[in-house]
Amino acid sequence: MGTLVSIHVVPGEADSAALEAAVDRAFRWFHVIETCCTRFDARSELRQLCAHAGRAVQVSPMLFEAVRFAVLVAEETDGAFDPTVGHRMEERGFNREYHTGQILSAPVSQDAGATFRDVELDPAGHTITLRRALMLDLGAVAKGLAVDTAAKELEPFVNFAIDAGGDLYLGGANEHGMPWSVGVRHPRRDRELIDWLRVSNQAVCTSGDYEKDAPHILDPRNGAAAASVASATVVAPGALLADALATAAFVLGPAEGIRLLERMGVQGLMITPSLERFETEGLCHAA
Amino acid sequence: MKTPRKPGGKVANSLVAVSSAAVMAVYSAGYVRTRSAAAQMEGQSQERRRPVVPVAPVAIAPVVPVAELKAEAPQAEAAVAGPTPVPVAKKDEMLVAKARVPESSAVVTPVPEPVEAAPSPVPVPVVEKKPEPAPPPPPPPPAAPVWKDGTYTGWGTSRHGDIQAQVVIEGGRIASATIAQCLTRYSCSVIEKLPPQVAQRQSPEVDYVSGATQSTNAFYYGVVEALNKAK
Repeated sequence: MGTLVSIHVVPGEADSAALEAAVDRAFRWFHVIETCCTRFDARSELRQLCAHAGRAVQVSPMLFEAVRFAVLVAEETDGAFDPTVGHRMEERGFNREYHTGQILSAPVSQDAGATFRDVELDPAGHTITLRRALMLDLGAVAKGLAVDTAAKELEPFVNFAIDAGGDLYLGGANEHGMPWSVGVRHPRRDRELIDWLRVSNQAVCTSGDYEKDAPHILDPRNGAAAASVASATVVAPGALLADALATAAFVLGPAEGIRLLERMGVQGLMITPSLERFETEGLCHAA
Repeated sequence: MKTPRKPGGKVANSLVAVSSAAVMAVYSAGYVRTRSAAAQMEGQSQERRRPVVPVAPVAIAPVVPVAELKAEAPQAEAAVAGPTPVPVAKKDEMLVAKARVPESSAVVTPVPEPVEAAPSPVPVPVVEKKPEPAPPPPPPPPAAPVWKDGTYTGWGTSRHGDIQAQVVIEGGRIASATIAQCLTRYSCSVIEKLPPQVAQRQSPEVDYVSGATQSTNAFYYGVVEALNKAK
């Protein structure tokens, strides 16, 4: 993730030792899940899995659930979201090990035409089989999974906020007893917000084309950079869902993206490069 | 637990249910493991990160080197986070409380200073593990004016390069924050408008902003480091 994480718990009646322990565990989840699911560390469990295509590999619950969910979203979106896009990301230069700066090479070159349909999951044995050589990228699910798992740790404290580089989970209410106010970053003007939302017990995640120096969201169906959306923001019960659907909606484009969000029963706001707005019905704006 | 995998045509909210089931599965499986790993490590001080070595070619779990799960002495950098937060300085927290989770380094997650009586807002940073354990730090200074006047710099890192932030403190408040050096792969013009926000956001507009960026984070982290020096 290489991202900043902050946790904020609104003062309550909780025992401070219990709070400390829970916050500590919450932070630990980010590290645990990141270590497991990163594509940017040659030793990660994810890369180990990708080095063993063709065999049933027993994996940790973290990796299993992250991959299972990613594949499910891929099925739901007919491949507009596809975790097997990792190889193409690496071809485009998202391939340097974070610390050493060394170029990571995929353990094996990806079979042309490999897709999420080549990922076989066995829930009983907790194994994953990659039927063809491919490189998974869990960037759109791992952070969300970490945010949600951290939120689980903090659930007893009711009112709290987790901010993982702009992917948010807002529990309960803020210090004024109001639902949290969340600004949505303007995709073209750094200092400005394009909208204000009120949320409680929900996650807010945004995929934007401003996030990196090169387009980093590729349409898995053709390998091209998705270009019809400047930012896609999703408000959902959890960050795992919000993050994955924001990425999928970004690829699908504004009209189809909004339809996907409505079909999934979540809220969202999409902005095009020409700053046209599309949003789901019932999006909760702050005044 | 079995996940339905009917291709297409699923009922609307099934992804919602599946995502919370996934989180529960990870939480219940992992909680035990993180806890017991932490317990095992009690007393064993500074074991270094071990690479993930597959036991057998087909069994690559478990993943997380136990050594990394050990929490470390919290305080030192943790002090940055907390203007032992007076629940007013909201935006300050937003800038200051953030800490970085690097891609794969040995990272520890310090807990905040215990807060007297009712727990205050708890922004807790994640700090990078140092080669040697830090000497026991002094207790954090009392709340009030958090920063000493002066000019401070700090480095922030992202996957795309480093940014050095310079922060000027006047009257205990952030007077300005600028990018002193920009060693990113892209031009820092991408984030040139960010620096004024740091001073500006001493008064909060919103609780949080969705859609932050890598470069933003590098800059903020630089600010965090600079403010640490201003303590």
